[in-house]
Amino acid sequence: MTQSGMIHTNPKRSLAPIFWLLFGAGGMVSALFGPALIVLTGGMLPHGWGLPANFADYAHVLGFVRNPIGKLVVLAVIALFFWHGAERVFLTLKDMRAGPPPILRVATYGVAALLTLVTLALLLAVGF
Amino acid sequence: MSERRPYRRAQPRDWWAHKPYLGYTVRELSGVGVALYGGMLLAGLICLWRGPDVFDAYRRFLASPLSLLIHVVLLAAMLWHVVTWFQTMPKTMPKLIVGGRHIPQKHLTTAGWVLAFICSAAMIATVLAVGALS
Repeated sequence: MTQSGMIHTNPKRSLAPIFWLLFGAGGMVSALFGPALIVLTGGMLPHGWGLPANFADYAHVLGFVRNPIGKLVVLAVIALFFWHGAERVFLTLKDMRAGPPPILRVATYGVAALLTLVTLALLLAVGF
Repeated sequence: MSERRPYRRAQPRDWWAHKPYLGYTVRELSGVGVALYGGMLLAGLICLWRGPDVFDAYRRFLASPLSLLIHVVLLAAMLWHVVTWFQTMPKTMPKLIVGGRHIPQKHLTTAGWVLAFICSAAMIATVLAVGALS
């Protein structure tokens, strides 16, 4: 006997909008600033192109990451990039029928959640 | 009683590797590039936490040709993400009507690309300015 005709007072809520929001936020941040970030951290900062040699040395980077705003920027970039990739990989693997969705969720969302916690812990561990 | 035999269209397991779905697959894989770059930054944070010597080793790796090659590949994936992200964006939002006129999706895509270019260029310009002043 189904509940047809009855009002669902407690419908099953989906968590999908939360993951979709994180995917969208990561997609937008990476679309707007991703190319500049890669050019900076992969090219200009380590090779010193147009920048002082000590610009990204231990002391300066530590100072940036100890700043509360710096912490927020680092957390937003790293975590959102992971959540963006996780959503894309999850949906693609689901469409490829690579495995049961619960396992795919753990392998994608689970990894993103774990790495978010690791990032958060490191940001607290480097001090203020 | 007749047996129901609905037509099932055959879908090979590797459908995603062939046109017209290949474009979709490549677009989704750009997300892997975005996440891998996040991993590159997280590796730097781990090295920073472990101390000056480890962080210097990380910086030496970043200055190596291998790292440069990796970052060129990541940049290509990121740029494809930028292109496709703003191609998809107008399709995911309601029709935009300004002053009674419908803004075509093409214009929204172009506006997104321009905005992305401005944001990235401004970020690099800011870092260069801070570097010049420090």
